[in-house]
Amino acid sequence: MSYFSLILKNPFRNRTRTSLAIVGIAIGIATIVALGLITGGLKASTETTLKAGGAEITVLQNNSGQFMNGRIDENRVDEIKEISGVKDTAGILRAQVEVPGADFPLSLTGIKVEKLILANIDSVTGTKFSNGSQNEVIIGKTASETLNKGVGDTIALFGKNFKITGIFETGSFIQDAGAYMSLDTLQNLTSREGEVSMIYVKITDDANITQVSKRIEDAYPNELTTTTAMAQASRINTGLSAIDTATWAISLLAIIIGGIGVINTMIMSVYERTREIGVLKAVGWKGRRILGMILGEAIVLTLIAGVVGTVMGIIAVEVLLSISPTTSFIEPVFSMDIFIRAFGIAFLVGVIGGLYPAYRASKLAPTEALRYE
Amino acid sequence: MNEENIIEIKNLKKSYDHGKIKALNGIDLNVQKGEFVSIMGPSGSGKSTLLNMIGALDKADEGYINVAGIDLIETNDLSEFRSKEIGFVFQLHNLIPNLTVLENVQIPMYEGSYTSKKMDKRAKELLKLVGLEDKIDQMPTKLSGGERQRVAIARALVNHPSIILADEPTGSLDSKTGDVILGILKDLHKKENVTLVMVTHEPYVAEMADRKIKVLDGTVAE
Repeated sequence: MSYFSLILKNPFRNRTRTSLAIVGIAIGIATIVALGLITGGLKASTETTLKAGGAEITVLQNNSGQFMNGRIDENRVDEIKEISGVKDTAGILRAQVEVPGADFPLSLTGIKVEKLILANIDSVTGTKFSNGSQNEVIIGKTASETLNKGVGDTIALFGKNFKITGIFETGSFIQDAGAYMSLDTLQNLTSREGEVSMIYVKITDDANITQVSKRIEDAYPNELTTTTAMAQASRINTGLSAIDTATWAISLLAIIIGGIGVINTMIMSVYERTREIGVLKAVGWKGRRILGMILGEAIVLTLIAGVVGTVMGIIAVEVLLSISPTTSFIEPVFSMDIFIRAFGIAFLVGVIGGLYPAYRASKLAPTEALRYE
Repeated sequence: MNEENIIEIKNLKKSYDHGKIKALNGIDLNVQKGEFVSIMGPSGSGKSTLLNMIGALDKADEGYINVAGIDLIETNDLSEFRSKEIGFVFQLHNLIPNLTVLENVQIPMYEGSYTSKKMDKRAKELLKLVGLEDKIDQMPTKLSGGERQRVAIARALVNHPSIILADEPTGSLDSKTGDVILGILKDLHKKENVTLVMVTHEPYVAEMADRKIKVLDGTVAE
């Protein structure tokens, strides 16, 4: 048997104690993995809202107190298009509508079909709705899953039946949980003819976002304000970085708690094997071989905890996302980073927790160790 | 050092507890290569301490001790010396419970540069010599006390040591099993041409040796 096999074999001499230590560390690792998967998912979603094709600037009503639901004169849509640096504009009307059988209201957006690209909707499965149509709607992939509706199905909105002509997917969890229809239709249904909630602005390739934003605001002082996709993303990122900090804090806690657990387990193990360590010294084992053995055992223990914790973390995220409707739109992102971090921490816990017991074992005086009862 | 002597000890002293307990109080002893020496003496006389000094498990405070050409007081890291020159047989077998008989015998070989094939060959060869060739894959807990001690003897010999140090090897066995173990030790000492130093309480065991030494109050009495 090789030295390495001996190291692999030894931690399982006391199965109960080893299993408990593994579970303890695995819980810490699972937390790190679960948080990593979720923040990764939120980040990826934020990034897709920034992808090319969509509008760079969103024009909102100034001081409306309604972030996404102001009242803007629809004529502004064409007027803003004439401002220097603006390539295209789209009037957007937003509404929340109750859908029979759904837990949450559906976020409905009215837009002219040819402007869908400004909302990052490029292609749909099925067909897009037609302008002026009274009963056509396209819904996002997440909405289609939560409502259990597909292309060709009907959906009751504002007491009327709408035909789902297409399903879209943008990668943004907010958009994919919503639905889009013709602007005229939504204006009719909500009695807001000639009105939009906001305007999407796409700028020309050589224009500067900040300058164009300023021109729009200057043209309509006290009436309109602008926000950029970048600014929105950075707001979300601030939130995400707070979660990231929390993840690191939890990681640190996991290292400390896990480390203490490993120290305890390995000290007990060394204590019980005092005589045996005496024998190993008597037969000529060097101190560093004994140190390596105990340290190796601690690392084996924590790496197993790394595997168990990773599996636990993935299962926890999947279960959480499948049972809770509020989080069902989050797609966990399985990036290598999360797993490297989980195993890095597991390894670190093994080294930190194993070092002291291993050192103690390597320094045991053989005669005393052999006398130990 | 005399060529014939494998162990040379002069005026060796060792005390514990800040000098309050004098375990060795000026021991003088020479052992020749291939000799079988028994050490007797009452409990606390210092015989086990002497054995630990010869095996470099502990360091003396004063005097001179040279074993197999190594000055044990002047040399710092003695693990290599223990690995190459010494084979210990303890009163309690001290086998590792989660390892098989074969794996237990191979334990001292990790410090050498053996291939796993060579480790297997040597360990099996010795287990055959002690009559346990059919139990190589058993766990120590399934063995009788005598069988365990035979495994310990095989373990002590696995690295071809020049000296076997046995500390009351039959102390925890019944007399019949004890005799078998002694027979094996004596036989191997001859076959493998190993020097054998054995601490014992039993006069009849001591009688089997080439030479008897009596330790009293930390000195050699005769």
